[in-house]
Amino acid sequence: MEIAPLIISLVYQALTAGAFLVLCSIGLMIVLGMMNIINLAHGEIMMIGAYVASLLVTEGLPFFLTLPFCFLVGVLVGLVIEFLFIRYLYSRILSALVLTWGLGLIIAQGALLIYGPFLPSIKIPFGSIEYGGFTYSIYQLFLIFVAALLVALIYFILQKTELGLKARATMQNPEIASTIGINRKKMFSITFAFGAGLAALAGGVLAPTTTIAPFMGTQFVAPAFITVVVGGATNIITGTLYSAGSLAAIRTPIGMYLGSFAGTVGLFFAALILIRLYPNGLASIRLFGRR
Amino acid sequence: MGPLQLFLGERDLGKQKSSLIFFLAYLVSLSIVPMVMGDYEAMNFAYFLLNVPLGLSVTLVWGYCGILSFGQIAFFGVAGYAYGIIAGNLTQLPAYEFIGIGGGILSSMLLASILAYFLFFARVENWIIPVLTLVFTLLLETFLAQTAGYQWKIGNVLLGGYNGMTGIPSMRLPWIDDPLYGYSFYYYVLTFVALVFVALRIFINSKYGSIIVAIREDSLRTEVLGYDIRKWQFFVFVLAAALASVSGILYVQWGNYITPSQLGLVAAAQPVIWAAIGGRSSLLAVSLSTIGMTWFSFTLSTQGNQLSLIFIGAAAVASIMLFRDGIVLTLWNNVGKLGKLFEKK
Amino acid sequence: MDRNEKDITVNTENVESDGSTRRTFIKGSLAVGAALAMPAIITSKSAQAAGHAAAVKVGHLEDLSGNLAVYGVQKDHAAQLAVSEINAGLTLKGGPVGSGGLGAFGNVASKPPLMGVGKGDLNYVNDGGGRSKEAVTFTEDDEILVDSGDDGILGRPVELINLDGQSNNNVWQQLTRKLIQGDKVDCLVAGFTSAEREAIRPIVDQFKQLYIYTNQYEGGVADANTFCTGAICEQQVIPVVDYMVKTFGPRIYTIAADYNFGQLTAAWTKATAPLVGGEIIEEEFVPLSVSDFSTSIARIQAAKPDWVFTLLVGSNQSNYYPQASAAGLEYPMASTVNMAQGYEHRRFSAPSLNRMHNCVNYIEEIPTKRNRDFVQRWYKMFPNDPYIGQMAQNTYFSIHMYAKAARLAGTTEQEAVKKALESGMSIEAPEGTVFMEPATHHAGHYIRLAVADAEHNVQFLREWPMITPWWLHRMGVNLVGKKEYKQYIPDEDPYFTMFGK
Repeated sequence: MEIAPLIISLVYQALTAGAFLVLCSIGLMIVLGMMNIINLAHGEIMMIGAYVASLLVTEGLPFFLTLPFCFLVGVLVGLVIEFLFIRYLYSRILSALVLTWGLGLIIAQGALLIYGPFLPSIKIPFGSIEYGGFTYSIYQLFLIFVAALLVALIYFILQKTELGLKARATMQNPEIASTIGINRKKMFSITFAFGAGLAALAGGVLAPTTTIAPFMGTQFVAPAFITVVVGGATNIITGTLYSAGSLAAIRTPIGMYLGSFAGTVGLFFAALILIRLYPNGLASIRLFGRR
Repeated sequence: MGPLQLFLGERDLGKQKSSLIFFLAYLVSLSIVPMVMGDYEAMNFAYFLLNVPLGLSVTLVWGYCGILSFGQIAFFGVAGYAYGIIAGNLTQLPAYEFIGIGGGILSSMLLASILAYFLFFARVENWIIPVLTLVFTLLLETFLAQTAGYQWKIGNVLLGGYNGMTGIPSMRLPWIDDPLYGYSFYYYVLTFVALVFVALRIFINSKYGSIIVAIREDSLRTEVLGYDIRKWQFFVFVLAAALASVSGILYVQWGNYITPSQLGLVAAAQPVIWAAIGGRSSLLAVSLSTIGMTWFSFTLSTQGNQLSLIFIGAAAVASIMLFRDGIVLTLWNNVGKLGKLFEKK
Repeated sequence: MDRNEKDITVNTENVESDGSTRRTFIKGSLAVGAALAMPAIITSKSAQAAGHAAAVKVGHLEDLSGNLAVYGVQKDHAAQLAVSEINAGLTLKGGPVGSGGLGAFGNVASKPPLMGVGKGDLNYVNDGGGRSKEAVTFTEDDEILVDSGDDGILGRPVELINLDGQSNNNVWQQLTRKLIQGDKVDCLVAGFTSAEREAIRPIVDQFKQLYIYTNQYEGGVADANTFCTGAICEQQVIPVVDYMVKTFGPRIYTIAADYNFGQLTAAWTKATAPLVGGEIIEEEFVPLSVSDFSTSIARIQAAKPDWVFTLLVGSNQSNYYPQASAAGLEYPMASTVNMAQGYEHRRFSAPSLNRMHNCVNYIEEIPTKRNRDFVQRWYKMFPNDPYIGQMAQNTYFSIHMYAKAARLAGTTEQEAVKKALESGMSIEAPEGTVFMEPATHHAGHYIRLAVADAEHNVQFLREWPMITPWWLHRMGVNLVGKKEYKQYIPDEDPYFTMFGK
């Protein structure tokens, strides 16, 4: 086998795996980084996104037009959960964890009762291209693009807008932020809703590549949490990028040469070792001066 | 202070002697329960009861030391597997079950100490521990699930992969020929669990308990006082693993069987939910909620409708929203207040 | 055979005088004890004058909530349908045909049998004259649901106790104890995954409970109390590998779920492929939690097989199909689980499962009249169900088979019913004739090779009207003669170990 197509294939696989990790974890990371809330219903909110996409496609809407609805429904669900539950739990991170676990169970089993065991799958858009004996799904390339776009968008919001400035101030020190007139409660509910919206959007864009079923969320939970833990909560952007990037870079070659099991185990061990080396997450590495 | 004073110490429900009376009543009622039930109900009750040490292990690390761990179920599972391997290979020896129990607990503690080294000596942030222990548990599940086949035969015991390890030896006492079953197994579990409970309550009220609670309240201040909190957290984590392994061993002796999915995502969250619902800062409250929740889950599933998981989820949500300190603990405190009202009259 | 042989004519169903029920009489010398044979055959409705007899309890345990509810709910509905039919006085055709299967123990006739009974109708073989009232048939009846001549079972109504295992093995064990010790069920029908079955089998054996496991699985369970009515590897793997190697070529890439079912079925593939000229060029085992398949897809492309054997299980792993299809992976595929179990051809948009081949014992699309009637009955009772899977059909006929065995035994006493089930029962299921092979407690099935086309329409390429389970025979299992309580795995067979792991 020629070496060039193989390298390109490996790069494609690593980018796909990285994009998957970014999409799974970005909503979780925002909620955790800004609010210190571990949302165990994250997978179920992704499931809601996929359900919205599938139901609307069944209604005749083109797949890409369903994505804004996924985001909006996610935001709505986030607002409701925040209003009813999360706002009482800001000082109780571990209680929030148990609560969201319970919510996750209710949402998933509720979806099973209402919509039955499966929803119709969505046909993966676009075709594939071939190069040197390997074929590449155009939709996977699109997912890589979406992941990059989302990271860029969050970077822009956090760094360049007033809302982002307030958000970062709240994240670093909620008490001081509220003394200078930032409405902390409002900040938190916006953040939680935004995180939920991103999760649902990610669920929507990943929907064509998965089985759309009530308990589909569980498949995203482990990758999302590993990415978040390795990345650390100190900086959302660099944490997600470093973590998803390094995990994908470790997993892909191992998986290619030793098979999926070795790839999965490699991912777990990489996470353990990275945490031992960088207990505060990869985001704490300073590549570009101060963060 | 003698053990009795320690047992009656203040770091659990009830400061007065009334709590001792209550605890005795609890033991007696549990002892009487199977007398009015058949062998089957006794076995069922034994199952509710054998989960108590697992719930207590979460209470110890989370409630008293402030470290939330989703890994307790991994120690539960490792001990169950280790008991199965050791006892299954030594059936020729006298009292091999006891060797299995010892080996099971030690294997879990060894594994816990390796994990604890990574966690506490790296001084990772507090929120990372629950997530990391969860990842660790899932890794263990993934590993065990692919151990079907003869290359995973240890001595003459097959690990069995996802289908699990079968034929794990039941508990047998050296002076009784038959394996423990029904009532006898129930009393064995009751004795074991009660001993663990009393020992833990004495420990938590001792001066070591004070250090552990101090770490939860303010780890920096505790450290400045000259305690190496990393060592203490390490110690508590390994002790909690030993507690969880007691449940694991009792479980495999109860069902003669264990599978990797018992270390899965759903199972990992369960003891944490018990602790949250009971009130994680009380051993007695969590014991009660563990028995209550396992009973609740069992009762729902016998109804044969599809709502059982919704009720379990709702129980978790309700206990967090309505009972800040857990259902059992809140009720207990309020019953105490009611009692005082009566006294005033 | 030193047992008391009795010449009996077994009336498998109530006779219709015009002979329109073709499989009316099967003549045989059945080696069944007198206690079994006598009261079972004719139990008229008047026999129930006894009044309100205690119900016959059928315990049914499946996952109605949680991750596996997809399959559990179907099986639960199948049980409800079967029980309602039994209580309405209906039964599936069939009856004991002897321990060797159809015709194996028939009397030697005075003249050799003649096909077509001399009149050119090849549906019949004449029995050689003499003792038979009708000819023996080997075509299928269209009508299989007939009057049982009984109300419920032996005049007692059937009560279905259906519980929810919550997709959680701990709950499974508890509920099994409840059904056996608490409810004292007469028959236990339960289990989707092999893990669930292995979780409850020790309890079943402890109480010698009659237990029917209705799922397709990896095979090998030899348990005196357990009857397995699903298809197993020798019935599914060998026919499909044979067809695929001959049609598409010898180079096989196996991608399998990394647990017992996937590993053991892959071992079967590896061991049987050389027999038909195939060769496994690579095996990949995927953990059940994996849902992103880009790496596996690239590995398959690098290996360039002739076809891919996919033994992927669970909803995470079925993501492989749309992902592979979108990546332009267009190899023919074969499987033993897909389509018939999780109806992937209905759930995924075409052409994800284009050229997927599977040897199934049942699939909803089987075009025979008896199956179309069954499908119609099903959707009349459960109009909102999405699909009828293989294991749902198995549960359906298994409960009917239990009823037949209890009638044959004349009692619901469990040891007697087990003996009756070991008498060589055959039953006319929607798939075709199913035969309960006594020595292995596994079922011989009508196997069809189903394939999905680019529009996900199902076609049937080949049919094998009866493939009996044989591997446990090879392992020396005879549960009628020697009771065992274990699961054999291919590692114990020297033939398989030749091919390594």
